[in-house]
Amino acid sequence: MKRAALFVAIVVLAWTAWDTGSDPIRLVRGLPWIVDILRRMLPPDLSVLPAALLGAVKTVEIALLGTAVAAVLALPLGFLSARNVAPASVFHPARATLNFFRSVDTLVYALVFVAAVGLGPFPGVLAVIAYTTTSLAKLYSEAIEGIERGPVDAITATGATRLQILKFGVLPQVLPLFLSYVLYRLETNIRAATVLGFVGAGGIGFYLQTYLRAIEYAAASTVLLVTVLMVMVVDALSSKLRARLV
Amino acid sequence: MIEITGLSVVLPPAVPVLHGIDLVVRPGEFVVILGRSGAGKTTFLRSINRLVTPTAGTVAIAGRNVTAAGPVELRELRRRIGMIFQQFNLVRRASVLDNVLAGRLGYVPALPSLLGRFPATDRDVALACLGEVGLASLAHRRADTLSGGEQQRVAIARALAQSPDVILADEPTASLDPALTGSIMDILRRINVDRGLTLIVSQHQLETALAYATRIVGFHRGRIRFDGPPSAVTPAVVDLIYGDGAPR
Repeated sequence: MKRAALFVAIVVLAWTAWDTGSDPIRLVRGLPWIVDILRRMLPPDLSVLPAALLGAVKTVEIALLGTAVAAVLALPLGFLSARNVAPASVFHPARATLNFFRSVDTLVYALVFVAAVGLGPFPGVLAVIAYTTTSLAKLYSEAIEGIERGPVDAITATGATRLQILKFGVLPQVLPLFLSYVLYRLETNIRAATVLGFVGAGGIGFYLQTYLRAIEYAAASTVLLVTVLMVMVVDALSSKLRARLV
Repeated sequence: MIEITGLSVVLPPAVPVLHGIDLVVRPGEFVVILGRSGAGKTTFLRSINRLVTPTAGTVAIAGRNVTAAGPVELRELRRRIGMIFQQFNLVRRASVLDNVLAGRLGYVPALPSLLGRFPATDRDVALACLGEVGLASLAHRRADTLSGGEQQRVAIARALAQSPDVILADEPTASLDPALTGSIMDILRRINVDRGLTLIVSQHQLETALAYATRIVGFHRGRIRFDGPPSAVTPAVVDLIYGDGAPR
């Protein structure tokens, strides 16, 4: 059984390697070109630093606004798709809807929204909202499903209404988790938003793509450095905040 | 008066737990339900305030049918029945006072309570109840920073805040250090004597049950095997309740 599985795995992987034209020799032949690009990227052209910083701020704005709006929109969806809160007739369609929309990446949403509302950061914000709402709703619903039954029973036994049970028995258990998920999403959305500019949805990616197209590698490397720095700073801030939550 | 008639519970998927329980509890009694784990004590207590829905039979409190009550009447009945749990069931991240205030939820105006606002009189009730269990000084601590015994006392204060006629306590000392059993049971006795509340407490510890109860009801495999005063609990009765000559 184990051997058969291993054999199948090897055959499948070998075929994918052949079908994708994955050839180590081609990579080795390409190495000089990579070295050449790296050489041309150095030293970074710092004259484009103001533009790169401006782009970075835009990217953070896109991620921040998109995540904040999504964090709120995901609340009702999260409760509707939690097995222990919503009736089966609501839960199943809600879960299916979430899974459907979550399987589309932020970048694809950006393409759609650029076509709909035009170029700039706004379609980027919309794309972040579209993806993050459904992915946060999924995380929320899992947090709700993982709550302790005991406090909910205790609040129910006091004669509380359904909404009071939610507010006093459920929310205190899930809110810190919700906040932690939102921060985590903010981190990944900053990274996702760096490439939104590639499809015309604003932010630092726009500059990166522009300089790469113009073969201004030294300028592009400045943009890349700013991107890395921005992501690292946000990650550090966010994980510090998250550590204090749980 | 609590009248339980023909109470049967089958828990999903198809586990029969209680088989036609008949029991009348008079006001002011301190009833201890005795039995091994799995005898149906927890399910019995949870059927009284309908945290578990009975499969057959009725529960009536002061002549009002709990089993047939609609949502509004059920909430009204529940607020007069305090409940204490083996695992305390406090909201860990909330303050001690907020946990006790939850006992007032059946009385306070709904909308302000959802915003976390409680009338001053209800706060006073909650603080008084905390004082009654000797924890007034810990009102603003987070619940999960308290010891197990303290947490159970907060849970008792929460039940008292309901201004109940009846308190149900499901193995209130089972997850505590044995040395704390007496202190918790003493508080329950004081509530019974001073406030005149009816108590129905489940216990698996024989000595504790005999020391505090005014009436012992012995459960064995979902049926009542014994019902009488502690003085009538002979070794033969103990065998009957714990069954099959097994050590208790």
